[in-house]
Amino acid sequence: MPSVRLEKVEKRYDDIRAAEDLNLEVRDGEYLCLLGPTGAGKTTALRLICGLTDLDSGKVFIGGKDVTDLEPERRGTALLSQTYSLFPQLTVAENILFGPDIRDLPEEQRRRTLANMLDLVRLTKRPDAFPGELSGGMSQRTALARALASGAEVLLFDEPLRALDARLRISLRHELRSLAKSLKITVIHVTHDQDEALVMADRIALIRNGHVLQIGEPSQVYDNPVSPFVANFVGQSNFVTGRIIEKGEKTVVRTESGMTVFARQCAMEMGEQVVVGVKIGNTEIAREGDSFFEGIVERVLFEGRNLHVDLLVEGTIHFSAKIPSWRLGKLASGDKVMIRWSAEKASVFPMPEKGLREELKVE
Amino acid sequence: MPTVELSKVSVIFGKVVAVDEVDLRIHDGEYVTILGPSGCGKTTLIRAIAGILEPTRGEVFIGGKNMKDVPIEERDIGYVFQNIALFPNMNVANNVGYGPRVHEKGIEEQVEIARKYLELVKLLDKMQMFPSELCGGEQQKVSLARALATGAKLLLLDEPLSALDARVRVDLRYELRRLVKRLGLTTVHVTHDQEEAMSVSDRIVVMRAGGIVETGTPAQLYTRPLDIFTANFVGETNLFEGWVTHCQDCKSAIELRDGTIMNVVTCDFAEGEAVVVSVRPEFVFPFTEGMRTRITQTIYMGNYWRIIGIAASEDPVEFDVPVAEGKLYHEGQEVYLMVNPKAAVVYQRPREGIAEAVKLE
Repeated sequence: MPSVRLEKVEKRYDDIRAAEDLNLEVRDGEYLCLLGPTGAGKTTALRLICGLTDLDSGKVFIGGKDVTDLEPERRGTALLSQTYSLFPQLTVAENILFGPDIRDLPEEQRRRTLANMLDLVRLTKRPDAFPGELSGGMSQRTALARALASGAEVLLFDEPLRALDARLRISLRHELRSLAKSLKITVIHVTHDQDEALVMADRIALIRNGHVLQIGEPSQVYDNPVSPFVANFVGQSNFVTGRIIEKGEKTVVRTESGMTVFARQCAMEMGEQVVVGVKIGNTEIAREGDSFFEGIVERVLFEGRNLHVDLLVEGTIHFSAKIPSWRLGKLASGDKVMIRWSAEKASVFPMPEKGLREELKVE
Repeated sequence: MPTVELSKVSVIFGKVVAVDEVDLRIHDGEYVTILGPSGCGKTTLIRAIAGILEPTRGEVFIGGKNMKDVPIEERDIGYVFQNIALFPNMNVANNVGYGPRVHEKGIEEQVEIARKYLELVKLLDKMQMFPSELCGGEQQKVSLARALATGAKLLLLDEPLSALDARVRVDLRYELRRLVKRLGLTTVHVTHDQEEAMSVSDRIVVMRAGGIVETGTPAQLYTRPLDIFTANFVGETNLFEGWVTHCQDCKSAIELRDGTIMNVVTCDFAEGEAVVVSVRPEFVFPFTEGMRTRITQTIYMGNYWRIIGIAASEDPVEFDVPVAEGKLYHEGQEVYLMVNPKAAVVYQRPREGIAEAVKLE
């Protein structure tokens, strides 16, 4: 199956930059999640790849071949939209066989393709149903079968699970990924849901303002974020700002108010103004013992496997922690707790040019 | 703040029974979430409380008063929709001041009220902007401020966060609960998102096929769900089919389909009964003996690794291991798994089969 490459792609809509120096390389047979907030340029990237949107400059390669000037129907890609765009007046079978390449095939071959597809997406009992009679999951599978039947080797999923219930979405993640993997197709899956990306992707490309900020395996993006934005978007983070006062195996940072925190080794200079970020799941809270500073518990929310604890530090800084839910009942609003983390779990970033608040904006 | 009471409420559309004889009591100042899959009747139920539609049968009481023939505008409610419905031609301040204006408050009072509620949702600096200039999360905060500015004491939220991005949704749900609790409002919130329900509610009402499955605090529904549907719907779980082979002093032995014995704590079943054991992934752990399991996938979840496999009993299994131990597991490997006997919840085997009993759509 083909690889996909975007090279220095630019796309502007009036003064909005939907793609800006957009470079992306998707490997043969890879399941890549394109993750980012609304308006990041995720859908534009998909449309540029399949040719539904013309680019201003740059190049698109599929399977190593320059397809920048090739018509959409000759690129071997299929775009699966959020709303599935099934024809309401056609049955499941007719929808699946709608693709131009299939319509012209001999009857026998069409029947075989249909049987294969129905079997693959578990719809063998519903070929004659109309889209209006299908559940959300079934509609999604019909759209998938149609895309596969068209012979596409690169599938472009635009938030394929968004229209489904939250719990169903979780169940269908594995199914969708397994299907793609068993067919060895190359998939680019757009989502704004970081959990979905972590669970489904071989690699995640984080995109913002039409530009890829970071690309890597889920564990790389989660554990070694390149910026405070990435640190906060993929698994929530707490942040502390200050100056580097000691460098070595670990970095020591002092805040303006005189608190001292540790973080992992970094390339920034002594005295430099920095941001230290630590995942809320790696933020430890304890009744006593060594700590960087104290916090007051504002509220404790039960979330199933975890408790979400909101804390207030020095009366102004909001911190959160995710701790195992067996600690329920052991913490209450108003409690004073000690806050700490292991140095290697905290990242150090240069102070963003426009300030931390602007950097962390998610919409 | 008012209580809400539903007494044998049914809503029937032609042949479809959307809500089927629902009884529910919501206390003064309580935050209750109605949780269920698409088509379970949750939106119909909240509309019956609001008075957007009349129940076919049964009665709705707000603050102890029967709401029969009481129109929406006299029920003293604030209603927030999934689809953000702000007036596009009015700025933020006028949107929020709309309720007070309808209630014939003077212009100064309108502005004062708008300011008060915009401050509460931290949007005071955006008063002069138009809805189209705000992002989705901000627009929904304005909707909330507008609903509150009418002086409503009962807040009805119909999937208020569903249209927003995942990350924005998470931030806003903490904000929502903080706000409502600060004002002490009675709140009914409808959602299909079990995580959202758990993190905002005092109590969750699980609905399915027009009826209430069960109600409980988030912790009750997660740790001790009474119904197998809830076990699977509120949080992920493993379901093992088996038979009780031994039961003494609430210690039961369950034999799985391949003959493996699983020990659990339950007093509710006699020897020979066909059961299903529900155990959440965080309470299944690798050991030197137990269920023989072949690993099919390992997934990095940030704070832990989720390991997925198939047990020799043919039950699918998911379990979690700490980040540092994730590298010990890989696809194709065979491991033995135990479950925490106290964290297991045992159900009678459903007659219609497990798949049907936990079906999500």
